Amino acid sequence: MRLTKLVATASLMALTAMTGAQAQDVAREDTVIFDLDRTIKDPSNFNWLTPGTKRMHGAHQTMWEPLFILNYATGNIDPWLATGFEANDTSTEFTISLREGIEWSDGEAFNADDVVFTVNLALTNEEISSREASTVRAQVASIEKLDDLTVKMTLNAPNPRFIVENFGVRIFGSFLIMPEHIWNGEDPATFAFNPPIGTGPYTFTSATTNRAIWDRNDDWWGAKTGFMDLPEPQHVIFLESGGAESRAQLMATNQMDAAQNVSVGTFEAIRAQNPAVTAWYSDYPYAAADPCARQLEINTTIAPWDDPAMRRAVNHIIDRTQIVNIATEGATVPSRTMFAQYGSMDPFINAVVDAGFELAPTADVAAGQALIEAAGYAKGSDGIYEKDGEDLSVKIHVNSASTEYTRTIDMIVEQLNRAGVAASSVPVENGVFWGEVLPFGSYEMSYSWLSCGSVNEPWASMGRYTVKDVVPVGERSPGFNNTSRWDGPAAAAYSEIVDSMAALPLGDKSIPGKVADAYQHLAAEMPFIPLVQSFKLLPMNTTYWTGWPTADNNYNHPFFWWNSTHQIIHNLEKAN
Amino acid sequence: MSDMPLTRAERKRQRRIRRFDNPWLNPKLFWGAGLLLAIIAVGILGRLFWDPELVFVGSGIPKMPPPGFENLRGQSGTFANPLGTEGSGRDMLALIIIGAPNSLYVGLMASLIGMSVGIFLGFTSGFVGGRTDDVIRVLSDVMITIPPLLILVVFQSAFGDVTLTMMALLIAGFVWQSPTRLIRAQVLSMKQSGYVQMARLSGASTWHIMFKEMLPNLVPYLFGSFIANVTTSIVTAVGLEVLGLGPQRIPTLGRTIYEAINAGALIQNLWWWWGIPTLLLAVMFIGLLLINLGLDEVSNPRLRKLKL
Repeated sequence: MRLTKLVATASLMALTAMTGAQAQDVAREDTVIFDLDRTIKDPSNFNWLTPGTKRMHGAHQTMWEPLFILNYATGNIDPWLATGFEANDTSTEFTISLREGIEWSDGEAFNADDVVFTVNLALTNEEISSREASTVRAQVASIEKLDDLTVKMTLNAPNPRFIVENFGVRIFGSFLIMPEHIWNGEDPATFAFNPPIGTGPYTFTSATTNRAIWDRNDDWWGAKTGFMDLPEPQHVIFLESGGAESRAQLMATNQMDAAQNVSVGTFEAIRAQNPAVTAWYSDYPYAAADPCARQLEINTTIAPWDDPAMRRAVNHIIDRTQIVNIATEGATVPSRTMFAQYGSMDPFINAVVDAGFELAPTADVAAGQALIEAAGYAKGSDGIYEKDGEDLSVKIHVNSASTEYTRTIDMIVEQLNRAGVAASSVPVENGVFWGEVLPFGSYEMSYSWLSCGSVNEPWASMGRYTVKDVVPVGERSPGFNNTSRWDGPAAAAYSEIVDSMAALPLGDKSIPGKVADAYQHLAAEMPFIPLVQSFKLLPMNTTYWTGWPTADNNYNHPFFWWNSTHQIIHNLEKAN
Repeated sequence: MSDMPLTRAERKRQRRIRRFDNPWLNPKLFWGAGLLLAIIAVGILGRLFWDPELVFVGSGIPKMPPPGFENLRGQSGTFANPLGTEGSGRDMLALIIIGAPNSLYVGLMASLIGMSVGIFLGFTSGFVGGRTDDVIRVLSDVMITIPPLLILVVFQSAFGDVTLTMMALLIAGFVWQSPTRLIRAQVLSMKQSGYVQMARLSGASTWHIMFKEMLPNLVPYLFGSFIANVTTSIVTAVGLEVLGLGPQRIPTLGRTIYEAINAGALIQNLWWWWGIPTLLLAVMFIGLLLINLGLDEVSNPRLRKLKL
């Protein structure tokens, strides 16, 4: 314990020395410190339309505001920079009304010109690659300004989910509006946008590779117009903590106010040292459900996993309950279908379950082995199946960035080996995993959450596995869609049903039936194997700040690296 | 002489002389070998009396303490897991039974291969001389300057999951150069000694002179070098494992420490998770050090203490 304290004191001193230079004039109790789980590779670049850590280090939590925020608690789309929207009957035209009196932090007015300018930026520049910009480019045909506070967008195809998908912070980010008076004439692929400005209540102060500092703008438009009070924190810091151990030390010693995901054991250890630390639930399992359910990705082009029966065999062998108990320490639940188990998804989950496609919470190894044997394999003397003298083996690529990932795959590797499949894991660095392994299909199996998307309707997730996104191995899958490269008659039949759902308005009575209809192909072919629901155990410190989102104070989810964090910061109150 | 019964003092003196005469009866050597044999014995007996299957993920309840202790959640340990379990439910005792001999195995294997290559190249270089000597000397000089861990990290990352033997082979590629250099130097000096000249005059083959005449004289020295190499190899192997680059499913002490650090075992006070493998590695290194010191005394009589 003495060693632990020593480490804590040392890191505390280092931290004080680090932040001291900038933050001398702002007291700790006026500062809120968030955890950043990655390095800011290019701290002087704020062009969010290009790849890199350019938003989640505080930029889209404090400085850039979204038009709407999807409220996970109520299912409503809360207006923010916009006041509302209207769609035509066929969901091909959307009219967005903007709030009056919004100003950029340099005093210029925010209006329809900025929205039209930024959307046109995405429409006319093929080379800008952020997911949000690509989605807008794919969906929007044209945009026009009706008056200073109203814009109208015309879509290429009907899309009833257009607003929440692109402007509503459904998952992580939203399409952010940039100031026309600064971006005009710049090349959006190379412009660094430094110093950055936004409409948010904070302005950029400084950033290095491991932290970014934001200061309150007391002249914020929202307070002047009565939209909202000024948030209480004068100073917001996003600090890279680097790993569970140092994250825990920073929380235990009140050097951090909100930390990224930790394991149940680590959280309990933090709370034993610092009772002021809370999480979504005050009791076990503490964690909040994340919309990206975990799954085993399979490359359906590589033998023997190109055989649906072999993929179903793996599904039988996997024991989801054991994954929950061992890899997540009971913090989550087994997945019943591919969907995130939110109340808003119940109609679709129930439709799948009623049709008999529910995933088993435990393993049926015998059934799995029967399928493998039916494919012509026989068990060798070492207990591993073989055919024509070759062992049945599989390499599973896993992102080494989190113990959640590696422990889950260790568990699956174990289950497969016990059943007679010589599985092994291949840990890969975060950047390589997302940059080279997943999008190009250079894996046999992998651990990820690429069917993520649906929160209150089924299409966003199901639409990611249609045949139109199939590309050969070695080419980049568009938007990480259908990285399984699932093709063939069943995939085509599936795609046809899913495509017919795309244009239906939210809440249409025929959707659950279509979901079940399409799901039969997923269940038969298993292009990916849903594993467990995702959980995020985010320790939050009430020593300096209260008002954190919890199950009892559920104004929205607690994911403070999302664009919706504006709500969290506005809800924070000084502890004393 | 023999019909006279010896007094106690005489017997004692004789024992001392005998011990002095046989340098291999060295207490440091004994203790060192004893420690290593104990680890090997744990590996062998453990497999007989304990279920080695418990070494795999999900065999028990995670993070259970040894009996008599409590973890942070207030669970007390049971004799189902006498040394507790780690974060994925692997049994610590089984981990040690399987993992400790594994770490030793990598060290011995790498060192054995490295030494064999070193002996062969050293002798060839020293004895044959000329171009061959130049090539071997330059090669080993270059290899000495390359930091092995750096290269091995790259290699292992490229290979992904490696087997223990594969890892030993990779490490062996970096432990042959020092023995090569040292043996070459010894051979060069020995080449001039009387008995080698004699053998040469009597028409013995190069092979015979190298391995029948000279090698036996180098044995204690080679042993010393071998043990030093085992230590280096284990340190390298553990270093790689602690970085998470060793074999994935085969348990080793280094990987256990890696997982403990990665999962925040320090703040959760799961001391048995990181402490037991660390302790075992310490025992292993102390054993190797003692053997090395003992061998030093064997090959260098001036180091031997006179215990009168």
